[in-house]
Amino acid sequence: MSEQNRAAHRAVPERLERALAMEVSLRSRLRHVAVGLAGGCGAAMIAVLWATEPNALPARTQAAFAGLIAIGLAWAAFAGWVLTLRRPLFARDRVLSARIALTATVVTALSGVALAAVRGSTADLTATAAGGAVFTAAAMRALVRARHRLHELLQLRDALRQDTP
Amino acid sequence: MPTVCVTDDAEQGGVVGNDALLVVRCQLGEREAFRELVAMWHAPLCRYVRGMVGSAHLADDLAQEAWVAVVRGLPRLRQPERFAPWLFTIARRTVTDHLRQAYKAPETAIEEATTAVADDELSGVLTTMQIEAGLAALPPLEREVLILFHLEDLPLASCAEVLGVPAGTVKSRLHRARRMLRNHLAEKGYEA
Repeated sequence: MSEQNRAAHRAVPERLERALAMEVSLRSRLRHVAVGLAGGCGAAMIAVLWATEPNALPARTQAAFAGLIAIGLAWAAFAGWVLTLRRPLFARDRVLSARIALTATVVTALSGVALAAVRGSTADLTATAAGGAVFTAAAMRALVRARHRLHELLQLRDALRQDTP
Repeated sequence: MPTVCVTDDAEQGGVVGNDALLVVRCQLGEREAFRELVAMWHAPLCRYVRGMVGSAHLADDLAQEAWVAVVRGLPRLRQPERFAPWLFTIARRTVTDHLRQAYKAPETAIEEATTAVADDELSGVLTTMQIEAGLAALPPLEREVLILFHLEDLPLASCAEVLGVPAGTVKSRLHRARRMLRNHLAEKGYEA
């Protein structure tokens, strides 16, 4: 580090450096990605379980399932809010998160289809497979867009490096 | 541990060319680039905020608030080369929000104004420059246009972007601000 850089770093208060280190933390972002995926995938699995139940469930069990689905969706929405406004994902974080999301979506979709095949009717199986395909396609689209943005920024960075003396 | 804004004029000129590269590295998610970006722009940002609010400690808090907003908004910045006006727009919004709240609570505003005067008497950093000494006497609109144009060296178009007004308005505000500053300094005994 040059003397000029050292002087510049000294001018930044330690309190600000700590606050910004928390703001840009990758760990915090991945934690919210995990929370959102756990909430969303959990809600989807419970919905499949409920839908493929051969006999009508007692009212209390139905209420419990509905509550669990609502909680899962609430966590997914909270994570989405955090990752959009409070801890937005940077390009590399986006690619990493999209890969994790795709993996989780595929695993959930396959598990859902397996459950529907074992427990449900053909209509249940078709609906679960269609839902799984839609969510998997959305996750793949997110990954493609994230990789496209990363590629764009890498190209821009290289071009700027060449221009900067 | 000192957490007070310093008014270091040094490095802005030579490093502005690196802004876009640093911003792109930040958008990529290179954590070290954030430290470099903050190190490069904290002093100019602080100088602007301090010029607007007077108190060094309050400026420090507002600068931190502005940096948090910058980090949160950075992934959405589509023109990395426009970082400087974007940064000052966020800083301006932060200062405006604070002033709005301060005006809503008159007692707090008076308290802060007193603190600002006390800070100025104690630190003496800003009073070393005549122009900065006169800034506190100007109304906010005139003060900020002088800071952005003369102290931060932003071009007219960037000032207009930050302030959200046409370039012609910036020119007339600058003219009025210079006249007010000249009169104020003359009253204080400085030669205009």
